[in-house]
Amino acid sequence: MEAAARIIPEIQLEHVTMEYASDASRVTALQNVSLTIAKGEFVSLLGPSGCGKTTLLRIMADLAQPTSGELKVAGKSAREARLAQKYGIVFQNPVLYDWRSVKANITLPMELKGVPRAERNRKAMELLDLVGLAKFAHHYPWQLSGGMQQRVAIARALAMEPEILLMDEPFSALDEFNRERLNEELLTIWSKVRNTVVFVTHSIPEAIFLSDRVFVLSPHPGRLSAVVDIPLPRPRTKEMRNSEEFFRLIARIRDSFEEGV
Amino acid sequence: MKAQGRQVPVLVWGAALLMLWEAVSWFLLEWAEVPMAQSKLPYIHKVLATFGTYGGVLAAESRITFANAAGGFFLGAAAGALLAVLMSASKWAERLAFPYAVASQMIPILGLAPIVFGIVRDEEAARMLIAAYITFFPVALNMLRGLKSVSPAALELMRACAASPWSVYWKLRFPASLPGLFSGLKIAAPLAVTGAILVELMGASRGIGVMMLRNLYYGPSHVYMFWSTVIVGALLGIASYAIVSGLERIAAPWQPEFRTKGGGR
Repeated sequence: MEAAARIIPEIQLEHVTMEYASDASRVTALQNVSLTIAKGEFVSLLGPSGCGKTTLLRIMADLAQPTSGELKVAGKSAREARLAQKYGIVFQNPVLYDWRSVKANITLPMELKGVPRAERNRKAMELLDLVGLAKFAHHYPWQLSGGMQQRVAIARALAMEPEILLMDEPFSALDEFNRERLNEELLTIWSKVRNTVVFVTHSIPEAIFLSDRVFVLSPHPGRLSAVVDIPLPRPRTKEMRNSEEFFRLIARIRDSFEEGV
Repeated sequence: MKAQGRQVPVLVWGAALLMLWEAVSWFLLEWAEVPMAQSKLPYIHKVLATFGTYGGVLAAESRITFANAAGGFFLGAAAGALLAVLMSASKWAERLAFPYAVASQMIPILGLAPIVFGIVRDEEAARMLIAAYITFFPVALNMLRGLKSVSPAALELMRACAASPWSVYWKLRFPASLPGLFSGLKIAAPLAVTGAILVELMGASRGIGVMMLRNLYYGPSHVYMFWSTVIVGALLGIASYAIVSGLERIAAPWQPEFRTKGGGR
């Protein structure tokens, strides 16, 4: 089933290199990264800080331009895909607008897309239901906890009905308990939406629990050091976190780090 | 109950200040026998009595001053806000306009007022222009700061949604600039009133500044009236500040100092 899903490529990177010129030296953030992500696939970009995983996500989102290399999103350039509003993006911080209520934050991308008001409101309530925050529609962002704010950010990203959902360490500011709960919630939401997800994280268990495949990146310079298939069946359950298979995968990814360095 | 509990110290403090004023005034007049003691610190009860007697006249003249100050204030605020938007939209505009905006504030109002009056030849228009002139700079400066206060991530969200430049302004930069705009307006509002009064002092037919000047000329016999006009001038400044603060609560209620419930973060 997974293999069948991989047939239509959504995001293709070929020999992507990203260099930053600082005062005297050039820093290579990404070196020669090639990868393909299939339509409807959930993948993680995993690695320690400085491995360029966020840079890679930003390149996919057309928020940064690679120094060299090719990038195709659904057969088009990243810029065309962005202008066609194919992306939903969730940042490390929720980035909610303080002057907008929770609901109005979620309707924002739809306003930008020109969706009629009645439709916006209906969809926003549906999304709030999906992330379990229907009661908080008329609250303001500062009245919510960090985890709730991040769920609003996810709902907002989904409001674009994005073909591709890009998530940049969305749960890294949360404690372990909240993070695990939100991982499960994210998968429940995704099982209903089934778009392509690229999830950046530095947590090995998080990457394994969520993904179909994990792209392991190693630092200095940032490069792709391994691609690990996660054969755990879906729907994923919390019990799987304690399965032998899960621990085996953790060990496998740890090893790939050591090989990479 | 709680609100009442907080008001008690304020009332006690206010009463104590007034009593101190009366005591010092009495001391200067009756004990130290300072020449023109009442001009230096008049009995507050006599000032208040004058206030009562001439309340109608004071109100009528204040209305004229306040209307001119308000007219100029809106003109200046609009010009300041427009300049801020231009400067935030283009580095080039900022480099061109900003040094002149700063330099304009170095010109003494006292010198500028007769020049403006000489050009427009209309006392009301001159008052408005000076009030506008005083208003525009703090408004432009603070609003520009607000427009630039938008976080890179908030801008990237707009970019990821393929928002038009117009939408970025209307839905992000402009709301984000409102707290800055209002701090500029709060600085400018009392200044606009002071500016209007200043121009009146330099020659006008009506307004609280005119009364102030006349009663000063008439000497000690009009000292209570003079003090009344000074107090009215101060009250006009306070009122302008209160009005702008009230508007801020309506227009930008999301700011941390207005938050009532929750607010854990």
